[in-house]
Formats: sequence, structure tokens, C-alpha cells
Amino acid sequence: MPDEVTVYALSTCPWCRKTKQWFDDSKIPYEAVDVDTLPDEEQDAVADKAYELSGGRRFPVVVINGEVIVGFSPDKFLEHLKGWGG
Amino acid sequence: MTGPSWVPTIDDARVRDGAYVAVYPKGLGVLLARIDGDLFAVANKCAHMGCPLEGGKLDGPVLTCPCHDWRFDLRTGVFLDAPELALATYPVKVEDGKIHVEVGGA
Amino acid sequence: MGSEARKESLRYLFDRVVQPLGYKFTPDEELADFLLEQEVKLEQDLGAPFCPCQGRTGVRAEDMLICCPCIPFHREHFDAMKRCWCGLFVHLDVTDPDSLPQFPPDEV
Ligand code: FES
Repeated sequence: MPDEVTVYALSTCPWCRKTKQWFDDSKIPYEAVDVDTLPDEEQDAVADKAYELSGGRRFPVVVINGEVIVGFSPDKFLEHLKGWGG
Repeated sequence: MTGPSWVPTIDDARVRDGAYVAVYPKGLGVLLARIDGDLFAVANKCAHMGCPLEGGKLDGPVLTCPCHDWRFDLRTGVFLDAPELALATYPVKVEDGKIHVEVGGA
Repeated sequence: MGSEARKESLRYLFDRVVQPLGYKFTPDEELADFLLEQEVKLEQDLGAPFCPCQGRTGVRAEDMLICCPCIPFHREHFDAMKRCWCGLFVHLDVTDPDSLPQFPPDEV
């Protein structure tokens, strides 16, 4: 099974960009959503989801195979990616 | 250049207990507040981004800035969430029924 | 006020706030510039320079805790990282901001 990765991000957050860039560079497919650029009617629900997963309001929120990592933290990303021994 | 000097402002009776009034000695924005009977004078300028504090809610000695809700103890000027930050404070006295504030020289 | 001018005034205003708290602007000029740019936009759109890396809830009392500089409200967490969450401010002694990790408060 391939790794399942979702990145919750803000368009205004450089660490969110770095996170996506890191997955791009590592050639790991991921789904990403910029919460603040969603249409108004979706924004609250997706933001609440990210807040609930992370227990706070900090971005990025990265979910790797069900594990939640808050912040740009390549070491922790690697720990949870199966292809990398996680 | 002149040194600090005492500047008369408004009648003492105009500042009620638990309330504040904005005055402008030598053009400087100052809030006069009376808390538990004592008078205090602080800069009418928030330590965060410089908003005028006038219009903010006073609760006991604590004034909340109307701009982004930073809270200050008007007795000392100190910001409640980080004591390293504070509003400027000025000496006050009452003479002949008027509140005088000592403000810096220009 | 133009957004360049507002950026400069935020620099001036925030410097006065963060210095006494033991912080300075990140030496990473590009990062500082990008973040200030975002804050100017957020201030224009929403009325306050909110943190570009934290989400808002629409509840004023909660959102004002991420109005920049938000160090006073997250002191323990930021002191542990030697930086604020978005990295706009770092401890005064930091010269290599890239070496500072970003971790959530429950790992302090
Ligand atoms: S200017 Fe007073 S709280 Fe921001």
C-alpha cells in the first residue's frame, strides 16, 4: 500500500510551502488543501477538521497514514512514511 | 529644550471613580483614570501598535485596548500578558481642584 | 497607506514590542519580507495583522491571541523553539534561523 499523505495548509504560510516542496522533492504523492483559499462555505468545516486533528490552530498539519504531524518537520515525516522505514 | 513640567488639565471632579478621561497636556495624549479613589495618568497610546486607548473598556484597574484587546493595569501601565511591556505613566497631582500632569520637555 | 509603507511601519512597531521580550526579526530577510507582506494583506482584509501560519476561528477572543506579535500569548512554546511559530521573530542570540525546529506546544 502506498503512503497516504494529506497536507492542511494556509496560502500565507511559508512552512506550509516548504512542506509541500519537501514532498514534491521526495517524489511522494500527497493531497493538499489551502484552507484559507477555499470557498467560504467549505472553509470552516475544513479548518475545524485541521484544528481537531492537530489540537490547535497551527499550520501545516500533515497527516501521514493516519498519524498527525504539526509543523514543517522532515524528520517526523520520514518516521511515518512506510517507504522510509516508518 | 525644557525639562518636564506640571501642566494643569481638567477639574478633579470630572474623573469619576472607576472611569477615565482623555486629556492632552502640551498636546500629548494622556488618560487620567481614578481607581479605588486614586488618580493615575498613562499614555493614551497602546504599547502594541500605538492605537489610542480611549474607547477601551475599563474593568477595575484593567483597560482593554479597542484595537486588538491588549490589557493594561492603569495603576502601573503594565501589560498583563508580558510585564516587560508597559504604557508610559506620568506623575499626577491635584491643586486648586485641578488635575496636573507632569509631562516631559519638548 | 501603500503596502510597502505599511510593511515598514509594522517593522518599526513590532521591533519595539519584541525586543524587550528577548526577540528580534529573523535574519532571514526573504522570510521576514514575505511574512510581513502577508500580514499587511491580512490587516487590510480582516482588520488586524494576524499570524500568517495560524488559523482563525472567527471568535474575537481567540483570534486576538494570534495577532502579531503574538509572543506574549505563547511565550513558553516560542521560548522552547527560540522562534515564534511562523519564524518572523527569533531569540536575540539566533544567527542561523534555519536550524530552529518547528514543533507543537505539547512537545515542549
Ligand atoms: S494597538 Fe492596542 S492592542 Fe493592538
